[in-house]
Amino acid sequence: MWNDLVDLLFRAYEQFSLLPLFIEIALIFIFVAIMATLLAYTSILFRRYNGYVYQKRLAHLSPVIEDLITEQVLLNESLGKDIMVDEIEFDQQAISNKLFRKPAVRQILIDTLIRYRKNFRGEVGELLRKLYIDMNLVEDSFAKLRTFKWETKIKALVELTQMDIPISDSMLLPLTNSRNPTVRAASRNAYIQLSKNEPFKFFDVATEPILPWDQLEMFKIITTTKDITIPNFSRWVSYSNNKSVVTFCLKLISHYDQQSAIPAVLELLNTKDHHFRSHAINCLGKLGAEVAEEKLVTIYTSQPLNCQIEILKALGRIASGKHLEFLKQEFLFSNNFDVQMNAARSIIKHNSQHSRLMLNEIMETTNEENQLIVRHCQNPLIKY
Amino acid sequence: MPNILVIDDDDIMLKAIKNILNKDGFNVVTATDGKEAFELLDHTVYDIVITDLMLPHANGLEVVGRLRHNEMSRNVGIIVVSSVGNEETITEAFRLGADDYLKKPIMAGELLMRIRKLIANKNSKTQFVTKKK
Repeated sequence: MWNDLVDLLFRAYEQFSLLPLFIEIALIFIFVAIMATLLAYTSILFRRYNGYVYQKRLAHLSPVIEDLITEQVLLNESLGKDIMVDEIEFDQQAISNKLFRKPAVRQILIDTLIRYRKNFRGEVGELLRKLYIDMNLVEDSFAKLRTFKWETKIKALVELTQMDIPISDSMLLPLTNSRNPTVRAASRNAYIQLSKNEPFKFFDVATEPILPWDQLEMFKIITTTKDITIPNFSRWVSYSNNKSVVTFCLKLISHYDQQSAIPAVLELLNTKDHHFRSHAINCLGKLGAEVAEEKLVTIYTSQPLNCQIEILKALGRIASGKHLEFLKQEFLFSNNFDVQMNAARSIIKHNSQHSRLMLNEIMETTNEENQLIVRHCQNPLIKY
Repeated sequence: MPNILVIDDDDIMLKAIKNILNKDGFNVVTATDGKEAFELLDHTVYDIVITDLMLPHANGLEVVGRLRHNEMSRNVGIIVVSSVGNEETITEAFRLGADDYLKKPIMAGELLMRIRKLIANKNSKTQFVTKKK
């Protein structure tokens, strides 16, 4: 039979080699397309089957797991009796049930505990954490953290973060420089949330960039995590070689209004990278650094457009009134629309008697287009 | 035994609150969306309604508004429980007539205390009205 099959294939190949070239190409194309379709369908079926099995298992196990959590945590008799959560004991027979030894069941258990933790804090939240530790689920999460699959690593990081389980620096810090951007972002977020004393230590060793979207996520975590120690970010502004770390620190400096960081930010005005410089100028403006005004006006003419615009904005934010004349000159004599607009906005932002008189004078003497710009900038609905 | 209606689309939260409140002697009825909640509210008067803000079919604000506009349920104690923390939504909930607000993740003990306080306030108000009459 085997010989017959080989013979058949051999004859088919002979027939195939006698065909014209374009027919041969078409046949190969058809064969590849059919194989690819079959492969795709097999893969979809396999995934659907796995999903179906998981859902079926979940439907069967969910009530058992929820009952365990209800009895051991929610309805625990020791809750609300001034007993420390660490001293509360679980029913050993219930938590050492054979069912909870299967990896798939343990994963569902972890997922359910996390869902509960998202809804409850306080004693109940702490008791959920204790159940996670006492059932040794923490080891499952750490095992996942040691795998090579990046999706599994991220899942482990989320689990450990949600359960507030500290991860050693030797394990977490290398992940903050992972080549995979998703792992990098997840581990940085985990580091901030888990390391209460030095949540920004990974900035010291960060060699990979912090992407803009990751900065947003991290900013949200930093500003919403309770009991986080906020350091003086000027430390990284002065010494970090990672540009994204410095720009992110500049944003944090302005958010936390760290006035002591002004000298370090001023140093950045001498940097050659103009994007970097514009971030520093923006930060100085938001800090209201009056000490920087003179320097900003001095370097203005040698700056590219993005930095010039940031300088004009900064003068409006600082609003000391010392450089109103400079802003007026820029508004009246610049050929660039953005420069004019920002100069006008900065004059308005001063909101002093002098600035109001200056605006009136401009409106009386300048051309119609400039008057239109001023009126547009005076519109309170346009955010500055 | 005070009647409490809990409205939340998260079945875990719903089950957990039900268990906690049952343990403390409350009679708890649950609904997973606004539509189901309205059907329950049309037939029964509850002492307290605990509602999430993000709900399918009708959101929590609509539930609060409807409770306050209905003569039968005007005096129900309403606690809004949500992970939405923006001031505008919270203010809107209070403007519509919510009595209390809890941000998720919640503390079970705090929820119980607030429920008891609302029920006590409601009872003292009823006593005051009766005496006045």
